Formats: sequence, structure tokens, C-alpha cells
Amino acid sequence: MLFRIWNRKVHFYLGLYFLFFTWLFAFTGLILNHQWKFTEFYPNRKITTTERSIRVRAGTPDVATARAVIAELGIRGEISMGAPSAVPGRLDFTASQPRMVHQIQANLIEGKAKVVSNEYNAWGVIHVLHTFTGVSSGNPAQQRDWILTTVWALAMDAVAAGLIVMVLSSYYMWWVLTQKRVAGGIALAAGSALCLLFVFGLRWIY
Amino acid sequence: MKRLYLLTRDLHLYAGLFISPFILVFAISVFCIVHGWMPVAQPVSRTVTGLEIPRGVELLKGKEQVAQLRPVLDAMKVYGEINFVRRVAAEGRLVIPVAVPGRETEVSLHLASGSAVITERANSVWNAAVYLHKMPGPHNVALRGNWQYIQWWRWLADATAYATLLITLSGIYLWIAIKAERRVGLALLGAGAVSFFGLVAALAL
Repeated sequence: MLFRIWNRKVHFYLGLYFLFFTWLFAFTGLILNHQWKFTEFYPNRKITTTERSIRVRAGTPDVATARAVIAELGIRGEISMGAPSAVPGRLDFTASQPRMVHQIQANLIEGKAKVVSNEYNAWGVIHVLHTFTGVSSGNPAQQRDWILTTVWALAMDAVAAGLIVMVLSSYYMWWVLTQKRVAGGIALAAGSALCLLFVFGLRWIY
Repeated sequence: MKRLYLLTRDLHLYAGLFISPFILVFAISVFCIVHGWMPVAQPVSRTVTGLEIPRGVELLKGKEQVAQLRPVLDAMKVYGEINFVRRVAAEGRLVIPVAVPGRETEVSLHLASGSAVITERANSVWNAAVYLHKMPGPHNVALRGNWQYIQWWRWLADATAYATLLITLSGIYLWIAIKAERRVGLALLGAGAVSFFGLVAALAL
């Protein structure tokens, strides 16, 4: 009986805590799949280009150097390194946060940095939040290096774990409603059959 | 009022149960996407010869090109969603990655000789879940849904998102009806709002 009560409490406590996160990911999922005109952000981005002086420094053109450069420029965000340049002292990288993407071309020997800043509108921010993980499965070298990206990634994990617990708790809540078992079982079986077809079935059929 | 409550409760239950396996797929795949965990199987290659390749197919674009290539892929027993078509003009070939959830196939089609090298990776169920999570997605919009199953998945992914929004709204209504839980619920809703907007502000401002 105690489990039944707490299972129900956990179900809606988690639902309420993660409500805004769930709305964000469900809504942005629709945006990513449809590219509705009113959510367009990339062509409407504001671009500014600046040339800045930076301290001349020796050292390897790596993430640590890139972080030191953006600290000097007063920029923050997740760093993605560009391809190594043949020009000595040249360091190309981007520093991203959901609202701004800065493309930086630094010359560590000449002490100069060209910064192209792309500022997104609110649609761009919520669009980017859906995919802002700091890692790429196609590029294992790309690792999270900004504390806020790590916090956001943990929030994504927490939302996913919360949804899984909510689904499992809902199964128990449905099962104890004996008069709803058949109708609920049909709904669950129909959803499961369709889902299993896509996750497991298609590669066996084709 | 009682009738609306009972109707909302049933809708919440049945819609939730139907959509729950899809929510599990989207939620479980989040861990792989967020941490870049993606086991990739070893590729296996085979060569096919004697293919009838439509003349000028390399010059076509978009869905028209896909429509011309589909019978060629069928003849090689390569099925699935064509991700894109890349022309390597200097070598007179087309590179065509084709995916079924859990399996990636790359076809290197040599136009002059009517042959193809097919490289296949039979990946895991995790890859299948991640692939489905990202489908149809914002990339190669003009081509996406060129395999019937991905068109159907598009509807199911949409249904999952819409049903999730519906379930959260009906869930709020059902929670409000429980007077004894209003205070704790409100505190959690507030804590969730502070966490969410605080994090978004820290990231974006």
C-alpha cells in the first residue's frame, strides 16, 4: 500500500519538477522535424566582425590555449577546435553558447584575433538547447570543456531518467486499476508493437 | 466536472500507455547522444556487378535522383532511408549512405562499370534508438522521408511530441484536482521552473 502511494507521488512529483524541461524538448523536437517558417533563426542571425589584440603567447594551439584566448576576449562558451592550420601560430576555433556562436581566428604570434559573432534570436536559443551536448558521435576528439555544457548535459540525463521512472511508475499505476487492465493493455500493446517494429523489426525484415 | 475529470484521467492513462514505448526510446537514446556513446560494428564489404544504372543519374538532384537510384539499390538488396547522395566526379562514382534503424550501408556506385562496393555495418539496438531519435531531423530536408518507414516514423515522432504535451497538460489538471498535493506540487513546480529558467539564462545570457 505504501509503495502504491509513493509510486503515485513520485509519478506526479517528477512530472511537475521536469514540466518545463519536458515542454522544451517536446516542442523543440517538433521544431527540428518541421522547420516551421516562424521558428526560422539562422538566416535572421545578427553577424558582427571584430578585430582584437590579444597577448602574444607561445604554446601549443590546443583547447587550453583557446580557452585562455576567449577569457582574454571576454567570451564564454563551449570550444570546438577547427582543423590545424599550416600557418604558424594560427588557432581557429569556435566558442558556442545557445545564443551566440563566435568563430575565432587567432594569431598567437602576431597577437591578433578576428572574431565573427553570430547572435541567434529566441527561436535559435531554444533550437540549440535541444542539441547542445558539447560532444559529437562522429568526432570522438570533441569533448565538453565548458562547465555549463556539462550542467546542461546532466540536466538532459536527469530529464531522460525522470521520464523513464515516470513511464515505469505509470505501468504500475495502470496495473493496479484492474478494471482498466484490458483497455490499457491494448493501448500499451499497440504502442509497443509499433515501436518494436522500428527499433528491432526493420533490420530483420530488410 | 466529475465527468471531465474522469474523461481526462482516461485520456491521460490510455494516451500515456500507447506512447510510453516511444518515450522510452527517446529517453534511453538521450544517454547515448549526450555522452557520445555509440558502439559501431565492424564493416563488412561486398561487390556487386552487372548493374543497370540509369544514364545521367549523377546529374539529377534531390528526390528525382533518389527515385532513379531506388531500383538500383533494390537490385543490390540495399534497403532503407537514403541519407544523401555525393558525387565524386573525378572517379565517376556516387557515394550513397543508406540506413535502416540499427544498420548503416554505404554504396559506392561506379557509374561506368555498372558495379558497386557495398559496405555494411550491423550496429546495435542503441544505434537504432539514436537513429530514430534524430529522424527526420533538420538535415537534408528535401530528401528526408524517401523511405516509407521514415515517413511513418515522422508521424510517430510527431505523435509522441504532441501526446507528451497533451499528457503534461492533462497531468497538471489531474494534480490540481488533488487538494492534499497542491502545496508540495506547487513547490516542485516552482523548483523545476527555477532550475529550468536559471539554467537557460546562465547558458544563453
